Amino acid sequence: MTHVGDRVLRVDALEKVTGRAVFGSDMALPGMLHGAVLRSPHAHARILAIDTSRAERAPGVRTVTTGQDFPFTFGASIKDQPFLAIDRVRFVGEAVVAVAADTELQAQEALDLISVQYEEVPAVLDPWEALAQDAPLVHPDLHTYRRGGHEIVPHSNINTVARYVHGDVEGGFRQADLVFEDEFFAHALSHAAMETHAAVAQYRPADGGYTLWVSTDRPFQMRNELAAGLGLSSNQVRLIVGCVGGSFGGKNTLVAEAAAVALARRLAGRPVRVELSREEDLVASQVRMPVLIKLKTGVRRDGTLVARRAEFLWDGGAYASNAVGIAVRGPRAVFGPYRIPNVEYFSRMVYTNKEPTGSYRGYGTTQAAWACESQMDIIAHRLRIDPIVIRLRNAYEDGDPWLNGQIMHGVNARETLEVVGREIGWGRVERVPAPHLRRGKGVASMMKETATPTSSNVVIKVEQDGRVVVLCAAPEIGAGQATVLSQMAADAIGVPLGAVSIPATDTATTPFNGPVASSRTTYHVGSAIRMAGLEIRDKALALAGKVLGVEPELLDLDDGVIVERGVGPRTTLRELLTGFGAEGFSLLAEARYSSAGSPLLKADAGLEWASSIFWMIASQAVEIEVDIETGVIRVVKAAAAADVGRAVNPTGCEQQIEGGVVMGLSNALFEEFIMQSGRIENGSLADYKVATIQDLPEIVPCIVESDHPEAPFGAKGIGEPAAAATPPAIANALFDAIGVRIKDLPLTPAKVLAAIEAAKGQGVFEEMGLR
Amino acid sequence: MKRLRPFILHQPSSVREAVELLGAGAGETRVLAGGTDLLVDMKLVRVRPTAVVNLKRIDGLDRIEHVEGGIRIGSLARVSALESSPLVRARCGALWQASRVLASRPVRNLATIGGNLGRASPASDLAPPLIVHGATIQVEGLEGKRPVPIEQFHVGPGVSCLAPHEIITSVFLPDSPARTGSAYRKLGKRGGGSDIALVGVAVSVLLDDGGRVADARIALASVAPTPLRARAAEDGLRGRMPSEESLAAAAEAAAEETRPISDVRASSSYRKSLARVLTLRTLRDALSLAQQEPSPR
Amino acid sequence: MISVTLTVNRVHHEAAVEENITLLEFLREVLHLTGAKEGCGVGECGTCVVLVDGSPVNSCLVLMGDADGHEVETIEGLAGDDGLNALQAAFVAAGAIQCGYCTPAMVLAAEALLRANPQPSPSEIGEALGGVLCRCGAYSKVLDAVSTAAAKGVRP
Repeated sequence: MTHVGDRVLRVDALEKVTGRAVFGSDMALPGMLHGAVLRSPHAHARILAIDTSRAERAPGVRTVTTGQDFPFTFGASIKDQPFLAIDRVRFVGEAVVAVAADTELQAQEALDLISVQYEEVPAVLDPWEALAQDAPLVHPDLHTYRRGGHEIVPHSNINTVARYVHGDVEGGFRQADLVFEDEFFAHALSHAAMETHAAVAQYRPADGGYTLWVSTDRPFQMRNELAAGLGLSSNQVRLIVGCVGGSFGGKNTLVAEAAAVALARRLAGRPVRVELSREEDLVASQVRMPVLIKLKTGVRRDGTLVARRAEFLWDGGAYASNAVGIAVRGPRAVFGPYRIPNVEYFSRMVYTNKEPTGSYRGYGTTQAAWACESQMDIIAHRLRIDPIVIRLRNAYEDGDPWLNGQIMHGVNARETLEVVGREIGWGRVERVPAPHLRRGKGVASMMKETATPTSSNVVIKVEQDGRVVVLCAAPEIGAGQATVLSQMAADAIGVPLGAVSIPATDTATTPFNGPVASSRTTYHVGSAIRMAGLEIRDKALALAGKVLGVEPELLDLDDGVIVERGVGPRTTLRELLTGFGAEGFSLLAEARYSSAGSPLLKADAGLEWASSIFWMIASQAVEIEVDIETGVIRVVKAAAAADVGRAVNPTGCEQQIEGGVVMGLSNALFEEFIMQSGRIENGSLADYKVATIQDLPEIVPCIVESDHPEAPFGAKGIGEPAAAATPPAIANALFDAIGVRIKDLPLTPAKVLAAIEAAKGQGVFEEMGLR
Repeated sequence: MKRLRPFILHQPSSVREAVELLGAGAGETRVLAGGTDLLVDMKLVRVRPTAVVNLKRIDGLDRIEHVEGGIRIGSLARVSALESSPLVRARCGALWQASRVLASRPVRNLATIGGNLGRASPASDLAPPLIVHGATIQVEGLEGKRPVPIEQFHVGPGVSCLAPHEIITSVFLPDSPARTGSAYRKLGKRGGGSDIALVGVAVSVLLDDGGRVADARIALASVAPTPLRARAAEDGLRGRMPSEESLAAAAEAAAEETRPISDVRASSSYRKSLARVLTLRTLRDALSLAQQEPSPR
Repeated sequence: MISVTLTVNRVHHEAAVEENITLLEFLREVLHLTGAKEGCGVGECGTCVVLVDGSPVNSCLVLMGDADGHEVETIEGLAGDDGLNALQAAFVAAGAIQCGYCTPAMVLAAEALLRANPQPSPSEIGEALGGVLCRCGAYSKVLDAVSTAAAKGVRP
């Protein structure tokens, strides 16, 4: 009996459908106090004075903390962000003062009693401004900050510079028959997880450490970030993670945690919860990093790509957070799943006085795919080549070298393109129901690497009753991690699915894991689980062999039953272990999987650092309907395919594919931040709109498989791809429908209408037989 | 979580009691109907009332009934009750359609017609239909009752003609003659129909026996400081046989009459475009319904 | 303080509460029924939806004074002693649950719909559930779950 490949029911479904799952905001501890945060009204200002005296005397208030009281900084790549603003504020909404009180209302009311004197200083509000010679500096002391080894430009707002060259793009452009140059813009987005950021923190006076109950997708990385920020050793900080109400890349750094820790320090051991309101979550946590992308591509007349140079200007916000990696690695996705012999990118990230940016389902891929896939269609139409044909002509096949020379295995772009083309009825023109409507179809493909190398440790213990406990730090963030990992554990060992449980992550007891991000969990944690599971199985059979007097090679463990070949069932795992009686027994195994050192990573000399242990590929074909009088786009149907290697749980894969389409269309059509002088004007769900069930198109999810030589049970990853292909597919469908190309997101009705009006003026509409 | 600041809660059981409490209200006293506006404002600390007068314990303010000459809708009738009322559906088409696209179902189960009117938002979905239905708002205060024609109700954005001690008790919609058709359309940020109206349009068309437009009423949301009646557009339709050209001209005229602002939801130019398009489409809807009406009810 | 009497999941409660307490706060912090969530607190996200006298409402916008005398149903009250109710089981079977934060509200909104309209069309399902946001985008399978439950003729 095996489970990998089956549509098993999610192991967390029961607690969620009965409302019993405990999320960060449900966490309540005895004696817990409640926090509230006073935030900056200015985009850039010096803090002259803070008077907290009245707040300190307010009813129920236990402590009021400022950055002066708690002058620590943190940061995933650059240690640039204070827990609470110290001497200046750098974005509207930055945390300045935190209050803890007996009730949340008391804490909130106490904020009104705090007065902060600011002196506004000039703010930098867009990346071009940030680059200017005489620009105000968001971080004048950038060069003194502790940081990773990436390139910065000291005494400027440029906090990341990355370049990459492979081949000779200039030569490529000369060889090309045509060269295309286009500029694209991808906008800021909120993750808008339904659970806002929330954390409970407790200081431990005995050892000067902290315990936190958090909703995060990367417990160890957050633990290390906290420890580094506070100057503590990592084992002084303990993180416990319950159910996470959605992350999408947003729950990775210290948001609520920063204020909670700063307060906890002063509460002598009483826990304190800080829960962000939806408005705070929208304007004062993290957003997707906006970027201007210049794409120059040389092609042959038959559509073969010859060379591509990409320039990125990333608008990084006030603190670098974990966005540095996006600026360094994210650009690679702009080359798509295509063979391009000569590639180059130049990427810069700047500080601006706006909300910090960070990872967002794709880690730069959604922005890069927007550019890549929009331009692919521009090229296709100019060359009069079908958009699917041109992609197939260039798509990677197994055995092709990647842009660093690494030989690729387990890449099936072809089938993803073919299946979505079929499912959407590519080439068939749909009947238009009314004169003011137009229909169009568009396709987009994307490819994403996974962070390499990363590692995962797992410990598996089997109790005397046959229950299998898998200790791994892979919080269930909603994508079904717990279920697929349980399936893999059950199959590796040979026990029923119901015998496996994965307790909540606790950094004190669960071993190290990389983040639940980069779609890496199935592959990396799965690999470790498979290794440890097989060891458990061997140990169990060796033990059974001893007890039964049979050679272990003749025994099998299946569904918890120990079977002797040629004889039949001899005992069960439970009976075997229970046989030890009061003496007791736990079967234990541990494994560490790291992608480092894999022969698959071999690449051109000096470029192995850019290798990826696997790639995910996704294609999408959408059919849209445009109302040419209002500019409203409705996605009628989306066929979305993902090359997942092998589907551990097909229902789970569909959940990701379908969910990605919904998020992608919401990102493309409805979501945007309206800014005024650095202030977000629509910082509430009343005016930051995300898709509802009424926006659901018909979705055809297509699971595509490929052969990856090392993937556990053949499975790669799936979480990020689908959301990336949707926006460019929609833009390409829009072009198909009305011959209008929009290169900046979002595709709002007003923007579409304006583009239609402009096109009318240029006669495009006459060409297409429209009014 | 968002917490409400403390307040004194009054739960009068009669209109008189409510009105006296409002009249006597020391400091800020606010009226609570469905709560979908007031409680949001209180949570966002846009208002800080010292006292709240909850009207929902007053019996009989939520009835929807046919009375002589028309329909009377109690001010505390929930928007979802409008949606499910056969009376409203049969006799006040535009109001019925608007009630179906206001916010979401859970909000409609709380929001009331009186609360919606009382907020006097220029984006109200219910006001334009009430305008084209020729509604009268029944108001009661310390000085007694007074009827307020809907077009005198809105004074400015968020400001109605109500005195602080006055509340709306009901809305009266007169019966419309046979061969009336009415409709409501809106467009929100998500393109579809349940977000705050970027533009909303209500139309009522009355045809005479010869099929000419005997009367036309056009009212728009979100295009002016108060819900706007597009009289010039209406004038262009009256007395004529309706045609695609006359409808288009009326829509154009209505758009001309709008004075929309640019705000966080839409630009004024986009609103003007939408006003024209939605007015034309709503005119077609209303006309089509009027043409389907066979004979006097 | 006001005195409030209400039933929650068929259990009678009498409580003395402050006037400014909402039904959401009461459910979560007094009764410790944390299935209803705050996702926005202003009636935009729907994660606080519970049933009051069978109708779905945003409990974040209901004062306890207005819950007085009414019957409230939360997600915790749906399952019987013998397990999940038919709709809950349909959600699980269809794979309609991802992070689970919106699930209580989504299920209750669907429950209310099926009680009033046992054979809803997809657009009717959309209208009934349009007020509950799901950022995981599980809508496709939510639609499947509700349609399946309706097709089976299950009487919730």
